[in-house]
Amino acid sequence: MFKKITYTFIVSFLAINSLAQNNSGEIHGDFDLNMQSYQEDEIIGAKAADEIILNNAYLNINYTKGDFAAGLRYESYLNALMDFDENYKGNGIPFRYAAYTIDGLEVTVGNYYEQIGSGLIFRSYENKGLGADNAMDGIRLKYSPIKGVYLKSFIGKSRTYFTYAEGIIRGTDAEVNLNEALNLKSKTRIIIGQGLVSRFQADINPKFKLPQNVAAYSTRLNIINGGWNYSGEYAIKLNDPVGSLTSEGNNYANGNALMSSLTYSKRGFGIVAEMHRVDHMEFRSERAQEKQYIINYIPTLTKQHTYTLLALYPSATQTEGEFGNQIDIFYKIKKGSLLGGKYGTKITFNLSNIKSLEKGVKYNAENNEVGELSGSFKNDYNDFTPEFFSKDGSLYFKDINLEVYKKINKKIRATGVIAKQSYNKDVLEGKTPGTYGIVKSTIAIADISYKIKKGHTVRVELQELLADGGEGSWSMGLAEYTISPHWFFAVQDMYNWGNHDVSKQLHYVNINFGYLKGANRIEIGYGKKRAGIFCVGGVCKEVPSSNGFSLAISSSF
Amino acid sequence: MKNIITLFSFILIITSCDVVEGPYEIDTGGVIPLDTNTYVKKILIEDFTGHTCQNCPGAARELEAIHDLYGDQIIGMALHVSKAFARPYPSSQAPKYQYDFRTKWGKEWDDLFGISGIGLPGGMVNRIGYPNEHRLGKDEWLARVITELEKEIDFGISITTNMTGTEGVITINTEILNNINGDYNLVVCLSESNIINWQKDGSEDIEDYEHNHALRSLLSDENLSVSSSYSISDNLEKTISVNLSTLEQFNINYSQNTAELGNGNSGGWDALNMSVIAYIYDNTTQEILQVEEAHLNN
Repeated sequence: MFKKITYTFIVSFLAINSLAQNNSGEIHGDFDLNMQSYQEDEIIGAKAADEIILNNAYLNINYTKGDFAAGLRYESYLNALMDFDENYKGNGIPFRYAAYTIDGLEVTVGNYYEQIGSGLIFRSYENKGLGADNAMDGIRLKYSPIKGVYLKSFIGKSRTYFTYAEGIIRGTDAEVNLNEALNLKSKTRIIIGQGLVSRFQADINPKFKLPQNVAAYSTRLNIINGGWNYSGEYAIKLNDPVGSLTSEGNNYANGNALMSSLTYSKRGFGIVAEMHRVDHMEFRSERAQEKQYIINYIPTLTKQHTYTLLALYPSATQTEGEFGNQIDIFYKIKKGSLLGGKYGTKITFNLSNIKSLEKGVKYNAENNEVGELSGSFKNDYNDFTPEFFSKDGSLYFKDINLEVYKKINKKIRATGVIAKQSYNKDVLEGKTPGTYGIVKSTIAIADISYKIKKGHTVRVELQELLADGGEGSWSMGLAEYTISPHWFFAVQDMYNWGNHDVSKQLHYVNINFGYLKGANRIEIGYGKKRAGIFCVGGVCKEVPSSNGFSLAISSSF
Repeated sequence: MKNIITLFSFILIITSCDVVEGPYEIDTGGVIPLDTNTYVKKILIEDFTGHTCQNCPGAARELEAIHDLYGDQIIGMALHVSKAFARPYPSSQAPKYQYDFRTKWGKEWDDLFGISGIGLPGGMVNRIGYPNEHRLGKDEWLARVITELEKEIDFGISITTNMTGTEGVITINTEILNNINGDYNLVVCLSESNIINWQKDGSEDIEDYEHNHALRSLLSDENLSVSSSYSISDNLEKTISVNLSTLEQFNINYSQNTAELGNGNSGGWDALNMSVIAYIYDNTTQEILQVEEAHLNN
């Protein structure tokens, strides 16, 4: 069936393509290839691949003509890179769509990505780095009946690997910009939104009553006045037991999530204060499935670091229960001042703190304790709802960091970062409680770039992480030479000199070089990668260690 | 315009929800006893597990709950696999987790089916869905069981044992119930239940956890017949001589010499708690078509 639909789309696509040649539509696309060889390296625990070389590749093709658009994506996993789920296997066209807009109504059939509000109740997206793609396959309508009122609704199934989950997802969303809709002249702009998502899946459980239609809804508010911006969203997911045959496996409690953010900004200064509280709020495209079926998104409340050692211990959102707050301050010291110098100095301060909700105890039918609860839980023997504020929540993650960016002269730019982090390795990596405890680290970064002459720049990163727990202390050095616009060369070494296991005090050296010309980019690398956690926006995956060559090609037209 | 609003309203209505009120558990009336005079479809649930895997007891409980619901039509097998979750702890941490439940065959099947690589617990129901959709989380087992129970059977298996102490003979009789063609293998294994030993369960270390259905040994994995053509009412008999001491020593040696971070502590078998599991699988699809279980000392 899947293949039939795909072939129909391809035939239609080719027909449209030939039509386009006569009617001046536009075709755009992009191509990505990532190839890696895997050698066995017992010291770092890297495994060899039977295939020697593994390969992921994608080609997107999009055709547009006026208000009409159609496209597809070819994906190839022969076989998938080791940090990808091995269920990505083979070739296929899992993404294809056609869409048109007429008189304010936008119709999309086939695959689409969609999000309601911040994603608390629904987010369909793809991130190749994470190996995540839960594209919808179905129908989506968007309509704006009057200025300032935006409606959308959709129905479909959510992608998992090369198939679709069993649940049928239905969703609606309405967003109203009051100023536009009511033609208000006020300086204060107010936008409100309401979303609703429901999943249908038949109840086949002979022992427990299960809801066949599971709903989640959210309300959001955005107020903007001058430099002030408030954004808030509250979501509830109704009873969604996994369909286990054991009473303790089925949680009938409602979930909820609250996000609140207040921003003030003016020229050279900005401050953002945020909080979120999440309680039993994971929503999946199928009952009783694993995390690749997740269809909602709770944004993380920690800074997304790009420097390697700052991101060594990243925070992953705990959807079963967490309370977090964060403050970001940006300030630019003016040019010509004592600290600002000739070009000014940019300072960014960030503090985030993520804790558990009030913990509970799970009981069985005999009233014996059978486990600990991290969020709301309800079945025939339990009805636990954590307090809104927990006085004794255990620490999941804490990060306090200060970044200073300074352009010293026309040739030299420097960035310095100092940070202190606390990372609950047991919770954030799903380990048995008490195995590792909290890893506390102090990190310092120096990033200096020097423009040797026109088109020639050298950049050096020196990073240091001091820690007793986890894998102990690390040092990292990176040197990068860029000859713009075509070439770059980089060598980096991560050294785990502080590992308590002397046999693991290892160097992870990587060498890369790349060539860019026009829309094409080729990068070749060789080196060792450590096993670790890779996160994007609080969504994380475990990455195995590896040793080998890599080739990355990207191109667009 | 009116039509569009109607359409949006319609979609709004269909995005409805069900709120279930307790009590949530339904009285299923217990298990209907099997008619032992005829063959019925039986299902093997292979539960890949480890004694230091904190979520694995939840899978074992799910397996028992499915067994409670469908009775002896459900046969369980627990395969302790992976260095991360099933290796014994160093002796410096005694008495916790000193036993090594791992077996050569558990490792081979784990490698073949790629279960622990994605995380434990994980399992298979009759190995349906191989090669891409066979690995199931515990909460997916029930749906697969319901589908499997609907299938017709082509094979009937009966097991008889004749043991004296730790030695004896196991006989597997396979009756062909339909005229069929195919490439099938017969597997015969030993499992043991009621093993009291350590198990991580959530944040707790349970000293006297009852381990059930633990795979102990593979006795045979061979073609069901030299022919690929089977006729209704054909009877195929396979006889296997068993020496538990030899098999036990094999596992001890495996733990000592081959398994990653093993310690040789794989003995202490109790023949009274052991079962014979025999199943027939399709060599092409890996699907297990029929399975039977009997106590070793019946």
